[in-house]
Amino acid sequence: MSIVNQSEPPRLPSKTKAELDRISNLPRHLVEQILLHLPIRDLVRTSVLSRTWRYKWATTPYLVFDKQCLNVSSQDQTLIKNKLVNIIDHVLLLHKGPIHKFKLSHRDLLGITDIDRWILYISRSSIKEFILEIWKGQQYMPPSCLFNCQNLIHLELFNCLLKPPLTFKGFKNLRSLDLQHITIIQDVFENLISSCPLLERLTLMNFTGVTHLNIDARNLQFFDVGGNFDDVSFQNTPHLALVSIGLYVNINNDENNAQDSSSKLLRFFVNLPQIQRLEVQNYFLKYLAIGNVPSRLPNPCVDLNYLSICVDFDDLGENTAALCLLRSCPNLQELEMLTRLEKRTTVERSTNFWEDDHWSSQFAHLRLVKVSGISGVKSEMDFIKFLLSNSPLLERLTVKPASPSQDGKWELMKELLRFRRASIYAEVIYLDP
Amino acid sequence: MSEVDMAVIKPEMMKSYIWLRTADGSIQQVEQEVAMFCPMICHEVIQKGMGSSKNYAISLPQRVNPAMLSLILDYCRFHQVPGCSNKERKSFDERFIRMDTKRLCELTSAADSLQLKPLVDLTSRALARIIEGKNPEEIREIFHLPDDLTEEEKLEPLKNTTDDPRIRLLNRLYAKKRKELKEREKLKNAEVKEEHVDDRSVDDLLSFINGGNEDSKGIKTSKSKKKNRRRKDQQKSMSANETTKNHNKEPNGLNSACSSAEVGQKIQPIIGSTSTLQDVEDDIIANKNEFDDADIDDEIDPALKERIDREVEDFARRLNSDWPERMQEILSLGQERKPVHFFT
Repeated sequence: MSIVNQSEPPRLPSKTKAELDRISNLPRHLVEQILLHLPIRDLVRTSVLSRTWRYKWATTPYLVFDKQCLNVSSQDQTLIKNKLVNIIDHVLLLHKGPIHKFKLSHRDLLGITDIDRWILYISRSSIKEFILEIWKGQQYMPPSCLFNCQNLIHLELFNCLLKPPLTFKGFKNLRSLDLQHITIIQDVFENLISSCPLLERLTLMNFTGVTHLNIDARNLQFFDVGGNFDDVSFQNTPHLALVSIGLYVNINNDENNAQDSSSKLLRFFVNLPQIQRLEVQNYFLKYLAIGNVPSRLPNPCVDLNYLSICVDFDDLGENTAALCLLRSCPNLQELEMLTRLEKRTTVERSTNFWEDDHWSSQFAHLRLVKVSGISGVKSEMDFIKFLLSNSPLLERLTVKPASPSQDGKWELMKELLRFRRASIYAEVIYLDP
Repeated sequence: MSEVDMAVIKPEMMKSYIWLRTADGSIQQVEQEVAMFCPMICHEVIQKGMGSSKNYAISLPQRVNPAMLSLILDYCRFHQVPGCSNKERKSFDERFIRMDTKRLCELTSAADSLQLKPLVDLTSRALARIIEGKNPEEIREIFHLPDDLTEEEKLEPLKNTTDDPRIRLLNRLYAKKRKELKEREKLKNAEVKEEHVDDRSVDDLLSFINGGNEDSKGIKTSKSKKKNRRRKDQQKSMSANETTKNHNKEPNGLNSACSSAEVGQKIQPIIGSTSTLQDVEDDIIANKNEFDDADIDDEIDPALKERIDREVEDFARRLNSDWPERMQEILSLGQERKPVHFFT
């Protein structure tokens, strides 16, 4: 490239094209950097630009095949499938060099056997990030060569059946695992998690085949699970900081109460010393309420600064569990309560659970509170009253009703207005549904 | 750069300047915190102790000319302030990269040589955004790229050739033929015998009509030769002949007035009118002509006509439901390029 002098003579009118063309002569890694941000279609199209650009695209380490790579509006499944297979076959054949990221996520791609051969090809080229999403059709079973990719750092599978070979000893470099809508058997799952020593993030949604979530991952920091399971336990997870658990199915309380009275809540928190953010979603609080719920945890969660609970305020057990949680996080700054609407079979309690003098709690650091899905029933309002009178540093309370219907809205607001506030800074915001 | 380093340096040199020299020889001084935002300069200062005075000015890499340097320093000056919110940074970045592509490329290169990764990332994204969505001519125009690929190189089977409408059509037709082939095969396997039976009965008829041993023999042999060839052809390239026959016979089905001798010729114009199909059909029509010519040479018109009519009925019967749609498609393909719903 030409060096520009301070005292430059006026530019000659005929600059050669080669001098004008700055981009082609950028160093290879910079061109690759630019091409990284292009969708696959534009990427491959650069091959017709000029002679020097013919194969510049072919060394890109990122290959992403999603809805951007095929813009045919036909409804014909076979046609789209054939085109897609054609495109991916072509690109893989013309590609050279290592592939570090491969993503395949097209709406019309079924779990066809062509994917097997693509995975085989990729497994030979030190893949680090692999994302496969089968949007529809039956579950796809990845071939065993996927489990040989020891350079994998991030693995994401959607709608797959996982059956690693018997010789599988884990992914030695895997840091992030995201499995959704998968089928995997209990032993295989436990083995998978415990044999990935560097695993830091685990996401598990809508899984079949695993009933007991025994998590043994010593470097795990983020855990997000949602589905149907019977049990959760953490063994050896000292660094787990973010946990979000959603139990999608209501549990049968009577059955469980008969069995044993050891508290699930206690068991849950036994191995979570460093927890910072916790989300208890759907019916999980009901699960935690099983057994004898203590008034507070033996070891308070000192690092917990964000708590989100989905609760049914009419259920005594859940209220107890929620209160236990609230009393066990002295440094809580942000709280979110989502009301779960259940059929109100019980008569509204005349007693106020939240007003009993036993609980003299103070939320010393609580600043932001959000309560959603309420409908103005007594139990909910009792809780809000309790919260407002015990949070001296509260800055904002946001209240969002559940239904868009107008009745009861004014009653709700009138009551809110009346509540005493411990914090002089508190704003109470009523959001429209 | 670690805070420890900063702590060590700061007390000694307060509000001090770093001296930088660009490749053209010009020297300038820059506030320390701004210059230290660039890892390369930082490295020079800390590891080698350069930049403290005019004589020991840090030599910047060749790719960094004064214009680029001032741009980079502007960037550093903004971003090294710790208090800015992400939103502010983003809007600064967006305004910052509004420049022509030539300068963007130079800036990318300069930032890279100073190891300023965030700026390299920003500029490469900007360049990618410029490239994205444009067709090759536009990109060549913007970046002044030479158009030095030969025509055939451009058409070589890379993914982008599906943009060429003819080739897209080709792919579609192939896909369609493949599907038809599968369907035909199922029907065929059931009816292959039936066809042969038909042939034989027609042959008998013909030989009877033609009369005489020699003639009949001659015709028989020629017919049987043709029959064999036809069978072989069918077995070898069932798709090509069969489907072409379908294509070519169908017009016959509709235009029943069409006489046998005109079969080959008449089809040409009909197909020819949809010029796009011609590319595809050329080879296949050649085969068909070869086939037809033999027929026409050997046969007496009425016999051929009868045979053809029978076969036409046969195929027409089979393809009855699909025919109107298919005809629509063949006609409309000449006019528009919209992908059509081929298979019901």
